[in-house]
Parts: sequence; C-alpha cells; structure tokens
Amino acid sequence: MSATDLVDISDPGGEPAPTADAPAKIAGRTPMQLALRRLRKDKLAIISAVFIVLLILVAIFAPVITAVIGHGPNVQFPNTGLDAFGTPVGPGKHFLFGTDELGRDVLSRVIYGARVSLAIGIGATLISLIIGMVVGIFAGFYGGPVDTFLSRFMDLLLSFPFLLLAIALVARFGPSFQLVLYLLAFFGWPAIGRLVRGQVLALKEREFVEAARSLGSNNLRIMFVDILPNLLPLAVVYSTLLVPINIVAEATLSFLGLGVQLPTASWGGMISESQNGSLYQVAWWLLVFPSIALFLVTLAFNLLGDGLRDALDPRSGRSQLGK
Amino acid sequence: MFSFVVRRVIYLVIVLLILSFLTYLLFFGGNPGNIAAQVVGRNATAAQIANTRIRLGLNHSLLYQWWHYVTQAVFHGNLGTDFQNQEPVITEIKQALPVTASLTIGGAILWMLLGIPIGIQSATKPRSIRDRLSTIFALTFLSIPSFVLGLVMLYFLFFDLTDHAHLHWFPSGTYVPITQNVGQWFVHMILPWISIALVSAAVYTRLMRASLLDVLGEDYIRTARAKGLPRRTVLFKHGVRAALSPIVTQFGLDIGTLLGGAVITEQVFSLQGIGKLSLTSLFSKNLPVVSGTILLGAAFIVIFNAIVDVLYAVLDPRVRLS
Repeated sequence: MSATDLVDISDPGGEPAPTADAPAKIAGRTPMQLALRRLRKDKLAIISAVFIVLLILVAIFAPVITAVIGHGPNVQFPNTGLDAFGTPVGPGKHFLFGTDELGRDVLSRVIYGARVSLAIGIGATLISLIIGMVVGIFAGFYGGPVDTFLSRFMDLLLSFPFLLLAIALVARFGPSFQLVLYLLAFFGWPAIGRLVRGQVLALKEREFVEAARSLGSNNLRIMFVDILPNLLPLAVVYSTLLVPINIVAEATLSFLGLGVQLPTASWGGMISESQNGSLYQVAWWLLVFPSIALFLVTLAFNLLGDGLRDALDPRSGRSQLGK
Repeated sequence: MFSFVVRRVIYLVIVLLILSFLTYLLFFGGNPGNIAAQVVGRNATAAQIANTRIRLGLNHSLLYQWWHYVTQAVFHGNLGTDFQNQEPVITEIKQALPVTASLTIGGAILWMLLGIPIGIQSATKPRSIRDRLSTIFALTFLSIPSFVLGLVMLYFLFFDLTDHAHLHWFPSGTYVPITQNVGQWFVHMILPWISIALVSAAVYTRLMRASLLDVLGEDYIRTARAKGLPRRTVLFKHGVRAALSPIVTQFGLDIGTLLGGAVITEQVFSLQGIGKLSLTSLFSKNLPVVSGTILLGAAFIVIFNAIVDVLYAVLDPRVRLS
C-alpha cells in the first residue's frame, strides 16, 4: 500500500479539490463500489476478465465455430489432414493449428477442450463454494463442539493426497467426467469452508446480528440472510482463485489418463496424446497449442483473482520494518 | 512434551488404521469373484476362479481380510503379491522408492533455495520492481501445469539440444542409482528436479511473501527497530523466523505427498518411481500393487504431518497446551 493508494480512499474519483467557494462534495460509496474502482485501475485483471468472458463464449458456441471452420472435433481427415507418409500436417491454410496423428483438426479440438476445462473448472468450484459456505457458516456460527468437529474434518480433508485418491477412485469406478467433477469439488470445499468459518467467527459478534436477533430472527435466518451477504466478496475472490487450480487438476488427471477419456477433446488428454511415442518431437503443434490454451486460461483466472483480492483488501502490506 | 508426542503417535496409528481399512474396502470390497477372475485370466474355468478366491483369501470376511493384510504388512513387511509377475509388492516398492526419494529431496532443496529468498525479497520491498518481477515469476509458474513444464523442458533442453544443436548437455535414459554412479545420478536428475521445483518455488514465493508481509506489519517489529536493532537483525531474527511457520506446514505436506509418488514428474520423465508404479499398475488392474503404493503414500503424508506437528510444539510451546 503506497501513498497514492491511500489518497484513493478519500478522493476516489479525482474530483476537483475543495476550494473556498465550492465546498468539497463528498460522495458516499459502499465498500463494493470502492473495490470496483480499485479493480478498474488494474489493467491486467480487466484484460483477464475480458479474456475469460470471450473464452466462455467460445466454449458455449463451440459447435457453431467448428461448423464455420468446417472441421468437427472428432472428424478425421485422412486425405487433407495427413501427409503422404501418414504423419500429421503442421499449421497452415486448411488447418490453422495443424492436425493430430488421426488427421483431426487441432484447432477444433482445442476449442472443444475449452468446454471440458471450463465446465469442470467452474462447475467444481461452484459446488465447492456452496458446500464450503454452508459448512463454514455452521461451524463459525455455532462454535463449540460443532465447530471442533467440522474444523477437524476439514483439516483432515485438506491433508488428503489428491492424486492418490484419484488413482484409488479410478481403480474402483473407472475414469469419467463426473468422477473428476466430484473429486475436485470434494477437494475444493474445505479451503473455502475454513475461510468462511474464520469470517463468521468475527461477523457473528457484530451489532447487526444482535439487531436481527432482537427483531426475532431465528438462527437460520441470521446465518443465511444477514451474515451470508457479508461473506460473498471473500467467497468470490477465493472461488476465482480456485478455478485455475481445478482447471490444472482436470488437465493433469486427463494427462495421466485418469480424467476425461478419449476421443472427447480435453487439453490434458491432447497433451498426453502428443507425448505418445514422443510424437511432439516431430509435431510440436500437438503440444504447443493445448499447452498455450491451458496456460492462458489459468493465468487469466490467477491474475483476475489476484486483482480482486487486492481490490477488496486494501490494507495488506504496510511494513513496520522501516528503511 | 513427551505426552504430546505420545498422543500424536496414537492419533497417527488410528488414522493409519482407518485409512488402510478404507483403502482395502475400496479395492477389495466389491466383488471378490470378479477380482479372482481377473487374476486367473479370461479363459479360466469356474473351478479355477473359486480356487483362486480361496488362495487369495477372498472367501473370508472383509474385516478378517483387512486385519490379515494389516498384520502381514506391519509384522512381516508383506503387502501381498503382484497379480501379474507374482513378485512381492514390497520388493517392487523397494526398487521404486529410491527414485522417488531422489526426485523429492533434490527438488525440495532446489525449490526452497529459490522460493524463500525471492519471497523475502518481495515482502521487504512490496510494490517495488523486484516485487513485481517476483509476482510475475510466481504467477507464471503457478499457471503452467507441471506436466506441461516438464514436457516443454524435455523438448527444448533435451530433444532440441541433442537432435538439432548436437549439444549433449543432458543425457538420455532415466534413473541411475546413486550407489552406482553419483555423477551420472546427478546429471540424470537435473531436468526432473528443475521441473518439479519451479512450480513449487512459485507456491513458496507467494506463501513466504504473504506470511512475511503479515509479520512485518506487526507492532513488535517496529518496537525492535525502535530499540535500535539493525534492520537485518529485525528482518531475519524477528521477521523471517516468525513467518516460517506456514512454510513448515506446507513443506511437510508437500514432502509427504511427493514421497508417496511424484506421479506427474515421474510420468513425464519416465522415472520408475512409486507414482509411476502406481499408475502403471492401475492401468493393468494390478490391485495389490495399487493399494500397496497408495497405502504407502497415505502413510508418508500422515507421518510427515505428525512430524510437522511435533516440530511446531518444539518451536512454539503454546501448541502443546491446546
């Protein structure tokens, strides 16, 4: 936090400085408005948000886009997509991102891969968010043995070995989209739950809770109508940071063969195929394009989450160390 | 202190027993006939399947089977036999463990050496150029999945250098035992170490920065400065030392997890470690090996968690009381 940021709070919009004839106009702003103002100045976060929205649109309209390109994600083009020796064709006029070993269009597959990544990344995060909020609110609000039990349980889950459990579950149930989704949701919620619990511990001592109680609200109403809205900003930030973790985890599972199965296009699966027989040594585009897609979407969510966190928490980082 | 350690060990044993039961249930709980059929092969007769069931002890109650499994594992170091080559699972684990341990320990040294100094740098001068650069470093490597990083490094630093530039900086082939040739062991591990360390270093940089920033905002730091202690002393003796506790927790978790199988890095670099063993056995439906490796991994994690707890109690006497 530097001096310029401090000025922001008292004079957020750069209004004209107060003079003798025109007294300062003081505009009341909610914390949310202040946060949005700070966020708007964070160019990287804004670019990331735009990128994410565009990517979501691409994922939603994937069938339309690939129809325009003319190459479905699982259609093989043995004549145009493979050269005379049956090896993949590099990026060119027909295939912007080249083709894979079966003569499929890499671009179309990357576009369809966005569907898997976003669906699991965002879907699992939403499930985690709901479970984490509910459990965290209960633990923080009731305290005592309820809190001890729920907190211990969350700690236990947080120390669970993710990949080992994934391997064990795949061994038992076989790999599938649903398994990945539930697995990631299951691993994501304790972190949110712990965070929410900490917030609720502080919030439940505030006057508005007392006020709600004196108006006759019961516990459930206080928890979910009065306290919950105060938790949302924090929950949104941590969800934004959980999405890239889930996207990378999905890609990792698919890469290891534990996630979404072929021929469904997923970025991790595509990268795994490119490693098959070290094919990417001759056909670099098989490794590069899905990797770049994965990197960009993860980076975008990380930057956005970072920006949101800084915007909502302007107090962090005032060192007492001196020069 | 002693009673704390005893309590912690009892808790550890209970968690391990529960974990082993859940693992056993998950793997062998379902359909014993099916497992036996897999072991004997496709063309087996019903009688052969029934005999195999008895040979594998699958005809007993699940609880009995599990208890047998646990006592065999604890008192005889026996984790069952590989369904395919009939080798004891423990032998295969003993072969794979040095690979995983080399990878984990070397990688951990590297990521601590990278992550902690960078984190300290950026926390002492928040919002400086150095801090921004370290944030970019951290966010970049946090956003590259470790398998992508590994493959890209393999492509540029191995295939490209060797095939196109004819520079043999990094040797081909995989693991060379340290007992056989220390130099060869080292050069073969360089790429896997870098690949495993960069992503973790990013995590540690972020963690160190956040934790140290919190500590440096405390009043006692100002007090220490005000009574005339030099900046360096305050930073390292009062600041960094207090900021290390989340790092210790994370380190314990990471080491435990990786020793139980650095699955991704082992897969990318074809290192025959625990993770790779677990994964290959999974795809060949070799259940005793999968359950053995998973139990081992879980044990590592639980044990390292306990070590971290005890370390905490040594460092901070308040922990013992709670």
